[in-house]
Amino acid sequence: MSAAPHMNFIQAAQDPWRAAVGEYGPLPSPPVAAHSLLTLEQWQAVRDQWPAGLPVGLTLANTAEVEDLAEDLPRFALVALQFPKWTDGRAYSQARVLRARLRYAGEVRATGDVVVDMLPLLQRTGFDAVQLRDGQVEASARRALAIVSEHYQGDVHQTRPLFSRVPA
Amino acid sequence: MYQYTSFDRQFVHQRAAQFRDQLTRNLAGELADDDFRPLRLQNGWYIQRHAPMLRVAVPYGELSSRQLRQLARIAREFDRGFGHFTTRQNLQYNWIPLPKSADVMDLLAEVDMHGIQTSGNCIRNITSDAFAGIAPDEIVDPRPYCEILRQWSTLHPEFAFLPRKFKIAVSGSVEDRAAIAWHDVGLQLVKNDADEVGFKVYVGGGMGRTPIIGTVTNAFVPWQEILVYLEAVVRVYNRYGRRDNLYKARIKILVKAEGQKFVDAVNAEFTKILEQDVDGREHIIPVSELERVSHHFQDPNGVHPATSAFDPNRTGPAPAAFLRWLERNVHGHRVPGYRAVTLSLKRAGQAPGDATDEQMEAAAQLADRYSLGELRVSHDQNLVLPWVREADLFSVWHAAKEASFATPNIGLLTDMIACPGGDFCALANARSIPVAASITERFDDIDALYDIGDIDVHMSGCMNSCGHHHTGHIGILGVDKDGSEWYQISVAGSDGSTLSGAAVPGKVIGPSFSADEVPDVIEALIDVYLRQRQADEHFIDTARRLGVPAFRAAADAVRRDTAAPAAKPAVVAEAAEAL
Repeated sequence: MSAAPHMNFIQAAQDPWRAAVGEYGPLPSPPVAAHSLLTLEQWQAVRDQWPAGLPVGLTLANTAEVEDLAEDLPRFALVALQFPKWTDGRAYSQARVLRARLRYAGEVRATGDVVVDMLPLLQRTGFDAVQLRDGQVEASARRALAIVSEHYQGDVHQTRPLFSRVPA
Repeated sequence: MYQYTSFDRQFVHQRAAQFRDQLTRNLAGELADDDFRPLRLQNGWYIQRHAPMLRVAVPYGELSSRQLRQLARIAREFDRGFGHFTTRQNLQYNWIPLPKSADVMDLLAEVDMHGIQTSGNCIRNITSDAFAGIAPDEIVDPRPYCEILRQWSTLHPEFAFLPRKFKIAVSGSVEDRAAIAWHDVGLQLVKNDADEVGFKVYVGGGMGRTPIIGTVTNAFVPWQEILVYLEAVVRVYNRYGRRDNLYKARIKILVKAEGQKFVDAVNAEFTKILEQDVDGREHIIPVSELERVSHHFQDPNGVHPATSAFDPNRTGPAPAAFLRWLERNVHGHRVPGYRAVTLSLKRAGQAPGDATDEQMEAAAQLADRYSLGELRVSHDQNLVLPWVREADLFSVWHAAKEASFATPNIGLLTDMIACPGGDFCALANARSIPVAASITERFDDIDALYDIGDIDVHMSGCMNSCGHHHTGHIGILGVDKDGSEWYQISVAGSDGSTLSGAAVPGKVIGPSFSADEVPDVIEALIDVYLRQRQADEHFIDTARRLGVPAFRAAADAVRRDTAAPAAKPAVVAEAAEAL
């Protein structure tokens, strides 16, 4: 297997991405600003005016149909998927479809209730950034990525299952 | 049987190391109990009434004598000297303290075993026919496919946190001995007109509070594409299965609610995987892989087909007890000159499916001497010796008797399926073991048992249905009412076998009974059968023909504790709840 894919651990303080929220929740007409992290509704309100090349991200509920976004996907630098509870595994399927089917190449970030022991699953389904829940230990998360070195079935990085891999 | 490769071995050792890391963080206070719970569940560790329960995977029921000896050692050194074989062909321990759990995982890994995905909301350990590969009625040996499915489902990154547990059973024979229609996915190996192998796929069967029989979503998926098809099924479930209500979260509810829309969604997803995904065709199984895996399931060295000329009376009249054992505990075999022998784990004084460490050692020794070191765990919670030479049957009978495995009751009333119940399980509403014991005591006359004939009695200590009460010709379900134990009785359920008929949940015969009444009720139901059976009817035939009223009347007539209106618990017949 090639070198382990990179996983970016997001530190909120250094993170340039900002949600466009006001006092009453997401702003219906978010201002055009670099590194805006928009909801699907917000994006739909501004998509026709959003300048090409201005970094914009999308935050998606885990019930959203990612395939409906196929056309707009190349415009997003970031897609943030959500884990409302860490044991709710819907976003793994979203990430896998984003990468394997829609060929999305931007950042896929895990947000919400993200814990250490999800890391191997996140990485293998195509997440390349995580924002850990408060109190999680990053060192443990990095260790969790390295314990099981190879798996049977294919994933986003190692697309071949064991049975069609060329022996090292 | 399957032999671990260096990859498999590295994998289970790494998995054990991962668990040790999690346990260490938990014991150090870094990993909270609530967050540790789903992780330990996916390694088979429950917290139960007395201590954690460990469920060890026995993939599709195949076990070597070496593995069984290690299981015996774990029972002896870490548990209180016994284990419990389950309807899903696994083994459970009940008394291992959690701080010792990582050590036990290491011992299991030493013999190529683990507890991976024996619990939790993931794809569980895959089950199959205990007679796979040796059954005379086999169409295709399911074991190579089971192994390929095991590998595909093990630590699948997308499907580790499904809405609820997900169970797959595979059958390759004419007779369904794996109750496939009762599983989240049931796979029946079939051949089409061109003699090509494929799977008839059932989706959305399940027991629990809402018993549902699986729907055939595809009559023939070519074997090469089965992983892709299952990927589509599980992805649709992962995305759309309900997560708002624990009792509505199984795939059966989604299939029932969506009907054809579910099938269409699976078909659409299947096509997209193959046509659009970067790696969509990677999981098509190549012939070379099937051949590689199948190689593991060739007949073991030492199998020498012989002319089948077995005659128990060859050297004079055989003992009647031996003949009975031959009739009930010995089964036909694909290879001439061989038989399969069931070691009965249903005997007075021990809970159904239980074995002590000494009994496990004895079974391992029997396997070494008479079955080329191989055993199987059956769905009915017994052990099977798959490679017994006909010439050895008399010796095996003696040795099995010596080790308490020779009760000639396979398929009879005392060959009951029962979960551990409230004595051990924290989920249970009522105890199973004492009730099973009282039934076994009541029916201790072997002649009477033979007269009653083939019957499935299944008992669960709660609605989770580990004892498969829905499929019992007589089903017993423990229910809780105002903090005390009651038992709901049903009749005419079927697991889908030829004897039992098309898979269907049993019908509840009325308000629940007290524990003391249960043996009387069972006896009353049996009396109805004995009095009213026609010609060659089995209990199930009579039960289906007469329906509930005849059985309800007989059962009501023996009520004592529940006869007086004041004592009668108003337990609703939950099993009959409308879908």
